[in-house]
Amino acid sequence: MLSFIATPDFPLASLEVGQHFYWEIGNLKVHGQVFLVSWFVIALLVIASILATRNIQRIPSGMQNFMEYALDFVRDLAKNQLGEKEYRPWVPFIGTLFLFIFVSNWSGALIPWKLIKLPEGELAAPTNDINTTVALALLVSLAYFYAGFSRKGLGYFAKYVQPTPILLPIAILEDFTKPLSLSFRLFGNILADELVVGVLVLLVPLFVPLPVMLLGLFTSAIQALVFATLAGAYIHEALEGHGDENEEH
Amino acid sequence: MSMLGIGWLIAEAAVEAPEEGGFAASILESNLVNLLIVIGLLVYFGRGFLGKILSERRSDIEAALKDAEDRRQKAAAALAGEQQKLAQAQQEAVRIRSGAEARAVAVTASLLADAEVEVQRMREGLSQDLNAERDRAIADLRQRVSTLALQKAESELPSRMTDELQTNMINHSIAMIGGAS
Repeated sequence: MLSFIATPDFPLASLEVGQHFYWEIGNLKVHGQVFLVSWFVIALLVIASILATRNIQRIPSGMQNFMEYALDFVRDLAKNQLGEKEYRPWVPFIGTLFLFIFVSNWSGALIPWKLIKLPEGELAAPTNDINTTVALALLVSLAYFYAGFSRKGLGYFAKYVQPTPILLPIAILEDFTKPLSLSFRLFGNILADELVVGVLVLLVPLFVPLPVMLLGLFTSAIQALVFATLAGAYIHEALEGHGDENEEH
Repeated sequence: MSMLGIGWLIAEAAVEAPEEGGFAASILESNLVNLLIVIGLLVYFGRGFLGKILSERRSDIEAALKDAEDRRQKAAAALAGEQQKLAQAQQEAVRIRSGAEARAVAVTASLLADAEVEVQRMREGLSQDLNAERDRAIADLRQRVSTLALQKAESELPSRMTDELQTNMINHSIAMIGGAS
């Protein structure tokens, strides 16, 4: 083992960042590895859902019980953010965000993707590509604009000058900072976690990265939770307006 | 494409690795051992933790279902009891109603008979009154007629009565008395 490390030109491990497995679709160059892992994650979720709902029992057991627990979790998450009255239509959106991000993060942290060699780049969590997280964050932006407009029509714009028109620039800026912070938070956390693990594996291949990997699992879960919670909070804010509907509570 | 730019910036800092690598190397390279340990830990602890949560959830659901079933049965029993009571009450109502109808018929008949008797009695009383009144009126008339006749006789007496006539009358009366004795 020592001789392995002593050998200077032996590739113990390598870090590949910014290398992408490009696919050309029309004029677009897409990151194939992100698609592959995303499909894997989607397939995992779909298969789990199918398994859970294929033979529905009155008293849930096994997979059905587990997925019902997940559904309960997601529903409570949406309910906490949106309130009892509004949460129901947004459970699918927030739940999908949470489950997709969570399974993506954990698949990146748990599955030995590096066993599969790609011509270029490497398989990893889809969320460590900024394009994925930006897409998710823009979906959240669309969702809260949709929520605001469907609730108040053009009166939604009133919220920009609601407490005082002086804050109008900040209110407009918020619409840009929200997706920015959402996407960069998720992307940064996941990429940083994978990089730290990668670097540690590069330096000390065995056992030393374990605590960081466990920490990575924890932060991955937390990031999924944070993303879904913030999405819920933004939608709630768009539904409720800034300060004028406090009496509803 | 600034996103890609960021990616490329990081790429420049990345460590470039040689493209070749055997399978034996890729076990270390792919972090397989650590991943297996992490997965093992996760399965070991997660199974217990998640298993506890899931079995608790399952038993909660079972208890809730059982509770609901119990309550359903109780409610069904109560419903049956109440329905029986309702049927009884309906029977009772029918009974009371028919009794009341019979009583109503009887009361109507007796009232009608009473009224008939009363009418008869009143009619009789009325004709009695009528007779009495007529008799009284007749008696009254008689008395007045006799009174008037007497008055007329008394008023005419002094003009018609002469001494001679009086004497004749007295004599006649005496003769009558004498004749009687």
